[in-house]
Amino acid sequence: MKKKFALQIVAFVLVAGMLSGLYTYTDVFDEVENVIVRVTCLSCLKLDPKTELTFQFETATDEDQPGFVWDNITKGPIFLAFRADVCAACETMEPIVKDIFDVDFGITETFKKVVNYNNMNITFYHINIDHAKGEYREAFELYDKDNVKGVPMFTMITLGYNHGVIEPAYATAYGTLEGLTNSDLSIPINIQRKNILENIIENGMVLYNENKIGFNPK
Amino acid sequence: MKLQLKRLYSQFLFFLSANLGALGIKSGFCYPFFYCNACPAADAACPLRAIEVGVFKGNFNLKLIIYPFLILGIAGVITGRAFCGWACPIGLLQRGTEHSAKKVKKKRWLPSLEESEHEHQLRYIKYLILLIFVVITPILIEFTFTDICPVGILTGTIPTLILNPGKYVPSSYFFPAMFIFTLFIILILTIRRGWCRYFCPIGAIFALFNKISILHVEVDKEKCIHCNVCSKVCPMGINVPEMHRDPECILCGKCISICPQNIISYERR
Repeated sequence: MKKKFALQIVAFVLVAGMLSGLYTYTDVFDEVENVIVRVTCLSCLKLDPKTELTFQFETATDEDQPGFVWDNITKGPIFLAFRADVCAACETMEPIVKDIFDVDFGITETFKKVVNYNNMNITFYHINIDHAKGEYREAFELYDKDNVKGVPMFTMITLGYNHGVIEPAYATAYGTLEGLTNSDLSIPINIQRKNILENIIENGMVLYNENKIGFNPK
Repeated sequence: MKLQLKRLYSQFLFFLSANLGALGIKSGFCYPFFYCNACPAADAACPLRAIEVGVFKGNFNLKLIIYPFLILGIAGVITGRAFCGWACPIGLLQRGTEHSAKKVKKKRWLPSLEESEHEHQLRYIKYLILLIFVVITPILIEFTFTDICPVGILTGTIPTLILNPGKYVPSSYFFPAMFIFTLFIILILTIRRGWCRYFCPIGAIFALFNKISILHVEVDKEKCIHCNVCSKVCPMGINVPEMHRDPECILCGKCISICPQNIISYERR
């Protein structure tokens, strides 16, 4: 009986001590909150949001466009691909994105490359929200126009005409794009996904060409 | 207040506490029971998800692996598997389906799994699920349990669809998970606590702590008259008179409430 009691006390002290140590000396609490609780992996939810692919000006948080967007928007449209570490839907979409832009990057890195797409420069960003910091991480909330808080998420940023002023405008798509794919079963699903992303990009390019002359960056 | 009524209140309170995200409260805790962080009102993380994120593709994040075990561990060392019986919302759901499962058990034409001689071996499935789908497949083939989790469908997908009508469409992950969810519903409607007994990976972690927990259920074997009423009411199908720190015991107290000799009780140490 005494042995059992001693074992229970040791186990309790060990577990409680390790848990306290984990809270005190690591950022596990923040990591779990930011990586798991506040962000939904859309494949875990098993759903894709239906969304309108129209370009809009107001960000989801009503804040200004981030600095890296202002820095690059004069060079051409910007495409942002957001993902998380553990997300089956991100794994599905990533090869399609890599194929479209002819880029390669590691899962965890915040990757930037200016790519030539149909004779136009597009600044491509890959942002893993589990690792990205500062304005790159904040951009995830900024462009989450439907308040989905889910990954994968794709944002095309271009220029648009807003009540007499040329401003950055963006369109966001979510998940594996099931909410947008047509139901033509003769077309393989990944081709449909690629077509949708290319369509967003091309619409963004048309808008950019129409509006770049009148654009006065900050 | 009667013990089972207290337990019902406790289960409801924990269910409410699991949904404080509806008030904007989000935390970095892991639930000490089975609940999905994809639930629109979730305020903490699923412990299984934390383990999966910690081991995914072999990029070991030690703190994320240890963390859920410590949260479950602190509950487990003190109360054993009591969180399954007194806190888990999926336990509450199965409490509601127990009546149906009892009716099924009475149908003589239906072979009862609960009375099968191999029933005890099936209880090891939950340990295999924990090991294979929460640890091994996320490392080796990037397949995670949460992608097909029936509890995720119940507490994440269905509430999201109800709360946002027309805003979401099923993705390709929906239909395999829905198939497993259908089996889950059939299981809990036909076998008392079928999910907890055979499949729950969190129950598998908790079960290990029953052997050393401070709180546990004890039977005074010398005074037992072997009427076996306790075993009949036990939702986990335990042979209660022979029980000593059984890994399956969820400390629900049904045997304590029903024992005519009052020789079953909660014991400390």
